[in-house]
Amino acid sequence: MNMPRLLPVLCCAVYFFLLAPILVVVLASFNAGAFLTFPPQGLSLRWYRTFFHNAVFLRAFIESMEIAVAATSISAVIGTMAALFSMRTTPALANIVRLGMTLPLVLPEVLTAIGLLFFFYAMGIGVHYSVALLVGHVLLTLPFIYINVSTSLRSFDPSWELAARSLGASPFVTFYRVTMPLMKSGLTSGCLFGFIVSFDAFSTSFLLKDVGTATLPIQLFDYLRLNFTPEAAAVSTFSIIVTFLIVIMTKTIFGNRFTK
Amino acid sequence: MRKYLLILPAVVVLLVFLVIPYIDIIFISLHPAADDRPYGSGFTLRNYVQVLTDGYLVHQTAMTLWIGLVTTCATLVLGFPVAWFMAHSSARARAIQQGIVLMPLLVGIVVRSYGWTVILGNNGILNRLARDIGLTRSVLPLMYNSLGIVIALTHVFLPFMILPIFGTIRSLDPALFLAGRSLGASPAITMRRIILPLTMPGIQSGCVLVFILSVSAYVTPMLIGGMRVKTMPMTVVNTLIDAFQWPFGAAQALVLSAIGALIVLVFFRLTPLRWSR
Repeated sequence: MNMPRLLPVLCCAVYFFLLAPILVVVLASFNAGAFLTFPPQGLSLRWYRTFFHNAVFLRAFIESMEIAVAATSISAVIGTMAALFSMRTTPALANIVRLGMTLPLVLPEVLTAIGLLFFFYAMGIGVHYSVALLVGHVLLTLPFIYINVSTSLRSFDPSWELAARSLGASPFVTFYRVTMPLMKSGLTSGCLFGFIVSFDAFSTSFLLKDVGTATLPIQLFDYLRLNFTPEAAAVSTFSIIVTFLIVIMTKTIFGNRFTK
Repeated sequence: MRKYLLILPAVVVLLVFLVIPYIDIIFISLHPAADDRPYGSGFTLRNYVQVLTDGYLVHQTAMTLWIGLVTTCATLVLGFPVAWFMAHSSARARAIQQGIVLMPLLVGIVVRSYGWTVILGNNGILNRLARDIGLTRSVLPLMYNSLGIVIALTHVFLPFMILPIFGTIRSLDPALFLAGRSLGASPAITMRRIILPLTMPGIQSGCVLVFILSVSAYVTPMLIGGMRVKTMPMTVVNTLIDAFQWPFGAAQALVLSAIGALIVLVFFRLTPLRWSR
């Protein structure tokens, strides 16, 4: 294929554009100076030390983890069930299910969060006990689980399950030995996507968080409005590292678990 | 019948926590404000009249939609060549490029917007660089304006443009481009008459996704605009949370969404016609 010679140059420029702000944040976090300057004035881990002694940020980090794990787990069950339904039903109905399950993804996040805020106030719960926050995050993560699981089940034939059952396998064994191995890659990447989306979510958390609590992105945002020290860069870099570690861990732990 | 139990939880969740809340937003927007409660009783269209006649809000809505349109165009112009190049790279080069495109999605939107404030700020990297090489003495206005917001939004949503277009280009037969060329069409004509119509589904979903995301973006305009440029999502949140005027805020949000949806519909009507000849 002959391509214009400028194309690779343009693409490299775009890739640089994509990575630049991330690299800047990571490099700035090792700044030894008291202000965010670039290039850094000497290297130091002092801002990481400040961060690890900052109870507010640590609490926000734990809150983020808890919400992401809880929301992804709930979505994993609901989303997988919906994906299993889609492949057992008529194409027309499956199409409607697909539209419904991807709805939270196409609707503006701010608007959905506003709707939930009104709804939970009308129910008399308001933003207490983080119920609204959890529901908001379930809606955020659900489409990712559904899309990934149903994609991995695309070639699945429901008669395979019947074959297993007729050969004497219990419904549980059938699910664990036949259906699960086929959808495990989709489920893993769906959960991974869901977790990351929830961990980084802003608008939903911002509108639905309980009074006095904050997730890491919210805390970071609050901090950035008033402060300009490299501590924000250290917090950001830490959350980037956590995300990457989770991606790598998921891949290595669940990568080959159901292959037998 | 037992299989319907599988879909039951999803239906309940979507119905109770998505459909009903959206109906609730419409319902609340048609009520008058009240001092002691979130909204008063009785039916009124006053909130909508207020949104559509307030010069400041109309200007802000237009500004928000304009930022969305410019961001969509910018991501398309940058994203299409990248998707094309990615699709025609070797397997290994493609994997690396996909990693680069996906990586920003793993980094939170607050962190990425923060990165742009470090680059674009009045004392940021670009301004310092411009001063050091003697390009300018004064401060280049890169942040606290709509230019900065568009730059940062383009970065934040670019992967959502590249990935769908990449998907459709991958599904094309590479021989199509060669066939067009061998029949005497110039590369430009081949691109416009063959490749563009065939990649239209990917372009459409990329554009719609980026447009919706950038019109409803909150964090990036907030951090980059530094309250000096206000977009509608910021005003909506202000009205709802700080001023506690639910009916008015709901009407603001719905007017913005309705106009946004209308633009998406017009876009869908126009795009296939334009390139199908």
